[in-house]
Amino acid sequence: MGTFIVGLVLFLIVAAVIRKMYKDHKAGKSSCGGNCGNCGLCRGKK
Amino acid sequence: MEFKIALAGNPNTGKTTLFNALTGSNQFVGNWPGVTVEKKEGKLMGHPDVIIQDLPGIYSLSPYTLEEVVSRTYLVKERPDAILNIVDGTNLERNLYLSTQLAELGIPMVMAVNMMDMVRKNGDIINIDKLSQRMGCQVIEISARTGEGINEAADLAAKVAKHQQVMVAKHSFDGPVEHALAHIEEATQGMLPAHQERWYVIKLFERDEKVRDALKLPQSVIDHIDGDIEAVEQEMDDDAESIITNERYKYISSIIDECNIKKSKGKLTTSDKIDKIVTNRWLALPIFAAIMFLVYYVSVTTIGTDATDWVNDTLFGEMLIPAADDLMDSMEVADWLHGLIVDGIISGVGAVLGFVPQMVVLFIFLAFLEACGYMARIAFILDRAFRKFGLSGKSFIPMLIGSGCGVPGIMASRTIENESDRRMTIMTTTMIPCSAKMPIIALIAGAYFGGEWWVAPSAYFVGIFSIIISGIILKKTKLFAGDPAPFVMELPPYHMPTLGNIARSVWERSSSFIKKAGTVILLSTILVWFLSSFGWDDGAFTMLDEDALNESILAFIGSKVAWIFAPLGWGDWKAAVAAFTGLIAKENLVGTFGILYGLADAAEDGEEFWGTFAQDFSVLSAYSFLMFNLLCAPCVAAMGAIKREMNNGRWTLIAIGYQCGFAYCMALMFYQFSSFISTGTFTLGTAAACVVLAIMIYLLFRPAPKYNGEIQIKDAADVTE
Repeated sequence: MGTFIVGLVLFLIVAAVIRKMYKDHKAGKSSCGGNCGNCGLCRGKK
Repeated sequence: MEFKIALAGNPNTGKTTLFNALTGSNQFVGNWPGVTVEKKEGKLMGHPDVIIQDLPGIYSLSPYTLEEVVSRTYLVKERPDAILNIVDGTNLERNLYLSTQLAELGIPMVMAVNMMDMVRKNGDIINIDKLSQRMGCQVIEISARTGEGINEAADLAAKVAKHQQVMVAKHSFDGPVEHALAHIEEATQGMLPAHQERWYVIKLFERDEKVRDALKLPQSVIDHIDGDIEAVEQEMDDDAESIITNERYKYISSIIDECNIKKSKGKLTTSDKIDKIVTNRWLALPIFAAIMFLVYYVSVTTIGTDATDWVNDTLFGEMLIPAADDLMDSMEVADWLHGLIVDGIISGVGAVLGFVPQMVVLFIFLAFLEACGYMARIAFILDRAFRKFGLSGKSFIPMLIGSGCGVPGIMASRTIENESDRRMTIMTTTMIPCSAKMPIIALIAGAYFGGEWWVAPSAYFVGIFSIIISGIILKKTKLFAGDPAPFVMELPPYHMPTLGNIARSVWERSSSFIKKAGTVILLSTILVWFLSSFGWDDGAFTMLDEDALNESILAFIGSKVAWIFAPLGWGDWKAAVAAFTGLIAKENLVGTFGILYGLADAAEDGEEFWGTFAQDFSVLSAYSFLMFNLLCAPCVAAMGAIKREMNNGRWTLIAIGYQCGFAYCMALMFYQFSSFISTGTFTLGTAAACVVLAIMIYLLFRPAPKYNGEIQIKDAADVTE
C-alpha cells in the first residue's frame, strides 16, 4: 500500500513537471537557470 | 477598447524600470545601454484597458541598428495610441534629438523627464513649463527609481491616448529646407499615411532607403524629389541627412539655452571622478581583476560556503534524508522506490540545491555591479585592452550578460552588426562561467581545494583568458578575419541601486535556479538513478546492490567513453558520465555526483558529502575536470540558442565542435604539464600536450590572413537571411 501511495504521488509530481516544462516550451520560455524567466530575449524567439 | 502606450527613449534612461513600476512586471533592469533588445508589453496597473509597451532604447529613428529598426517599425507601422517619451534629465540635450523625431510622428505624446532626483542633487534646473511650450507636448518630472511622478505620467499618457490629441511638431527647419519639404509634401500628396506626413517627408528628404522602398513612389516623383533635395544640398553645401541633423541640434541648443540651467557645467561629476580612477589606463584592469576576484571569493569561499555546508551536511545529510528514510520504512515502501526517492531524487536534487546559498551571494554581487553602472565600464575597459588582440568590446556585452545565463548572453549577440564578430561572440560567450556552473566551481573548490581562496576566482579568469586566446586564434582564420567592429558605448552615470531592484534581480535568478532543480534536474536524477541502479547480474537484468555500481547500465555506457578523458586525468566512468549529464543542464553534473557518490550514503555514514566525493580525483585531475566543463559545449538550452542565432546547422556544429575541442586541449595541457612539473615523469600524454601547445602557439602568432570584405559579406548573407 505504501509503495502504491508513494509511487502515485511521485508519478503525479513527475507528470506535473513534464506538463509544466512542455507548457513553458510552448510559451517560448527558456529552461535555462539564469535570469531569463522574464527575459524578452528568451521569450521572443525569432 | 484597449489603448497602447509606447515607452520610447534613449538607451539607459530608465524605461524598463518605469515599465516594471507601471505594470508590476519583473523585467530585467541593468544600468548599461542595450538591456532591452525587443519590445515587451504589460497592462498598466489600475487601468486594465491600457497596455504599456517597453521599446528598446534608441538614439534616433534612423535604421542603423536592430533596436532602432524594432522601435521604428513599431512606431510607424503599428502606431501606438500614445508615446510616453522617457528623457534622461541629466542629459537633456542628447535625449531631445530623438524627442524631436518622435514629435514628427504625429502620435499623441507626453514627455517624462526622468532622473529628476539626480538633476536636483546636481543642483541643475529644468524649466518644465518652457520645455513643454517649446516641444508642443505635456512634460512631467519623474524619477522611475524612487517612483516620483510615475503614476501621474502614466495617467497623463493614458489621457492623451484616449483623447487622441494629435502631436504637432513645434520645430521648423531653415528656410531652404522647409521650402524643399513643402515641395516634397506637394509631390507626394495622397501617397503618405495620414498624420505622419511630416515624418515621411523629412525621411524622404534624408533619402532614407527603407522609407522610399516602403512607399513605392513612382519614379517620376522620386526624380522630382531628388531635384529638390539636390538644390538644397548645393545651397547649404552639405548632404541632406547632415543638414537635417544640424538643424535639429540647432533647435535643441535653443531649447537647452532656455530650459536647462546646469550648475555643474564644465565641472566633473561624481561619476566622472570615479571613472578617472576606475577606467584609468593603468588602474582599470587591476581594479576589474580585484573586483571580480572579490565577487567570486566572497560568494564561493567565505559567506556562501558556511551556508552551503549547512544545507548539504545538516539540512540534507542529517535532517531530510534520515526523515525520508524513516518515512519510507514506516510506510513499508518497496526498496526500489525507497532507493529512487532517497538515493536518486533527494541526493541528486539536494546536491544541486545545496549550492543555493552561494548562488544567492553571487547574484547579490552581480545585481549590484549591473545596477550601479560598473558592468558598462567593464566592457569599456576590456574593449581598450582587447582591441590590441583584434577583439571588439561589443562582444563583451553578451559575455557580461552570459555571466548570469548563457542563453540571453548568446541572444544579446544580435546587437553586433558585423557577422563574423557576432559568430565569434556566440562561440565564446559561454566560456564565461554562467550561474549554472557555479555549483561545479563550488564543488571542486570545496572538495579538492579545501575552499582555497584562489580556486573560484580562477574559474572566472580561465574563462576570460580562453576568450582572448580563442579571439586571437579565430580572428586569424579566414572565417573570422577582419578588423574588429568599432565600439561606441555611452557610460551611464553611477548610482546607488535600490534595495528593491537588487532584491528583484536576486529573486528572479535564484527562483529560476530552484525551479530548474525541481524540473530538469529532477527528471535527470530519476534517469541517472535508474541507469546507475539497474544492470546485469549473472546475465540477468536486475536492480543492483549498492556496491555493484560498476555493473550498472551507466557504468557500461560511461566506461565506453571514459578513455577519451583519460589524458585529461579523469578517465573514470563516473566523471565521464557526469560531464555528459552536464550537457542537459550544467548543475546536473553536481546532481549526478550526488547520486553516484551517494549524498544519502554520506549522511548514513556521518561523513561530509564533499569528503566522500574527493576520493576519485587528484587535485590536478579535479581542476582539469573543472576546466573542461567550464569551457566545453554549454547546456542544451544554450546550444539551442546557438542554433537559433547562427541560423545555420553547419555553423552550429562548428561552434559546439570548437568549444569541445578547445576545452579538451586546455584541460589536456593543464593536466599533463602540471603532472610533469609535479612528478617529473614525461609520458605519452605530455608529448601530446607539447604538440597541442606547439599548434596553439602557431595559431596565435602566425600572421593574420588578408581580409576580403566581399567574401565576408556574401558569407554573412547566406547565414542570416
